[in-house]
Amino acid sequence: MAAPPVDSARAVEDRLFKALAILRVVVTLNMVVLNAYRRDNFDHPTAGLFVTVALVVWTGLAIWLYDDASRRTAWLLGADLAITVAAMALTPVVKTPEFNATVPGFWVMGALLAWALRWHWKGGLAAAAVLSATDLLIRDSVDQGNYGNVFLILLGGTIVGYMCASLQRMAAERDAAERARAAAEERTRLARAVHDGALQVLAMVQRRGTQAGGEWAELGRLAGAQERALRSLIRQQDTVPTGATDGPGATADLAGALEAVGTAHLVRVEVATPGTPVLLPAAVVAELAAVVGACLDNVCAHAGDGATAWVLLESGTDTVTVSVRDDGPGIPEGRLETAEAEGRLGVTSSIRGRVAELGGTARLETGEWGTEWEIEVPRGAR
Amino acid sequence: MVRVMVVDDHPMWRDAVERDLAAAGHQVVAVASDGREALARFPAAAPEVVVLDLQIPGPDGVQVTTQVVAHDPNVRVLILSASGEQADVLEAIKAGATGYLVKSASSADLVQAVERVAAGDTVFTPGLAGLVLGEFRRMSEGPQDDPVDQLTERETEVLKMVAKGMSYKQIAQRLVLSHRTVQNHVQNTLRKLQMNNRVQLTRWAIEHGLDDDDR
Repeated sequence: MAAPPVDSARAVEDRLFKALAILRVVVTLNMVVLNAYRRDNFDHPTAGLFVTVALVVWTGLAIWLYDDASRRTAWLLGADLAITVAAMALTPVVKTPEFNATVPGFWVMGALLAWALRWHWKGGLAAAAVLSATDLLIRDSVDQGNYGNVFLILLGGTIVGYMCASLQRMAAERDAAERARAAAEERTRLARAVHDGALQVLAMVQRRGTQAGGEWAELGRLAGAQERALRSLIRQQDTVPTGATDGPGATADLAGALEAVGTAHLVRVEVATPGTPVLLPAAVVAELAAVVGACLDNVCAHAGDGATAWVLLESGTDTVTVSVRDDGPGIPEGRLETAEAEGRLGVTSSIRGRVAELGGTARLETGEWGTEWEIEVPRGAR
Repeated sequence: MVRVMVVDDHPMWRDAVERDLAAAGHQVVAVASDGREALARFPAAAPEVVVLDLQIPGPDGVQVTTQVVAHDPNVRVLILSASGEQADVLEAIKAGATGYLVKSASSADLVQAVERVAAGDTVFTPGLAGLVLGEFRRMSEGPQDDPVDQLTERETEVLKMVAKGMSYKQIAQRLVLSHRTVQNHVQNTLRKLQMNNRVQLTRWAIEHGLDDDDR
């Protein structure tokens, strides 16, 4: 026994049965017109009329019965197929034993497709097998056309059943994704209130601790670090990437990546971003994040871990620019030249080289106000 | 002495801010714990500066900013927020706030920020400067027929330095400008941002037929 269909699967089935109702009307009209046109082929025209009228009545009843999902029981589908088989089996009696077309003709697809929609490929195949067997048994000889019809019924019933199952699965997956997204939004909304409360307390501990001094000041400092980390985390959540996350066409959000680098680093880092995701190829984002990490390592090495660094991300139409500044004493004049002459410009040239590989430029400026890297990379970098 | 109104739904913070300001010789003329109280008490209290938390029970901080600035264009709004919600901060600035401080700032920073905002100066964090830069960039990439007041090159340069954590004094030294000129540039960026916001709101109102009072 299969699991009870979820609402999305039910909705798909309802829609398909509505379509089938229209199809039933069409094939019924077709049957009535054909039987009226070929009324001379009937040995017993009155009986033929009776069978045709009975099928028309059953069609109306079936359309009404199938309209409500709760009435689509095995009994209804069984009756539908039984009536179809009966109408086919009566054909040699009411027409001639050497008949060509059965009384119901294409009308049989009503029951066939109902089975396929309700019980998918297995139902479609089973109903097709029953109809095919009936068709072959009532004929005294089977020609190529009869074989073709049987073959098409077997294929059609199975394929429609399979497609119906696929549609239902896709609808269920879509609904699950929608539910997951709604749940995530709700979580974010709830988290916002919790985060705000936590940030308030951390900020208060930091403030009181600093005022109290001593051991409390250390506690306050720790609270401050946690507060910055939490605030950065919230900003990273605001810019969760939307596109593919791996593969060659994958993009990633540079703003979120820089927030993550800043939070993880030993020096105190303040990250300023445009406030919206800055999407670039994932490899470029990874490389830029690594370069900014190297710049921050350099700040740590030269200005000490008591220094503060600022990272600014600007997103232009053609380029993105990342600036990394520290409030250290700056690099004394001539020091870079000396280092270059002595061939120990490891970090600086490594940063320049990595940015050049991305087709960008890295400029280093230094002064009383600290040291600043400005890294500019074309948006088309890969 | 500055007349201040403090709006925060956390009593702990309301008291702390009030104490700090009183200790620095300022007068807290009113406190409120939500947007409704704030708007009700604002006209009678007539503060020079409103120190406002953004996450308050409705109307929220952005709406309170809009309303108090509409009621008294001379009032200064200083956003004091614990939250990391950048979009809210930007909305409040566009609505007319001229200062933003995170709650982890020290007492001295807070008092100084209130004094600077009262004097007509702007108080930015590097993060806010980055957002404002991004906002102008987005506006410049928007529809061409939008009459957007763009930043001058100098204003962009100054704002970038603010976003990189430089003080006005450091910026003045580096660009060989007076401290006052740097302040003016920063104020201009906010003025343009608020102006563009008003233009956009007016356009929106006209497009939606809200300007016609007779209807």
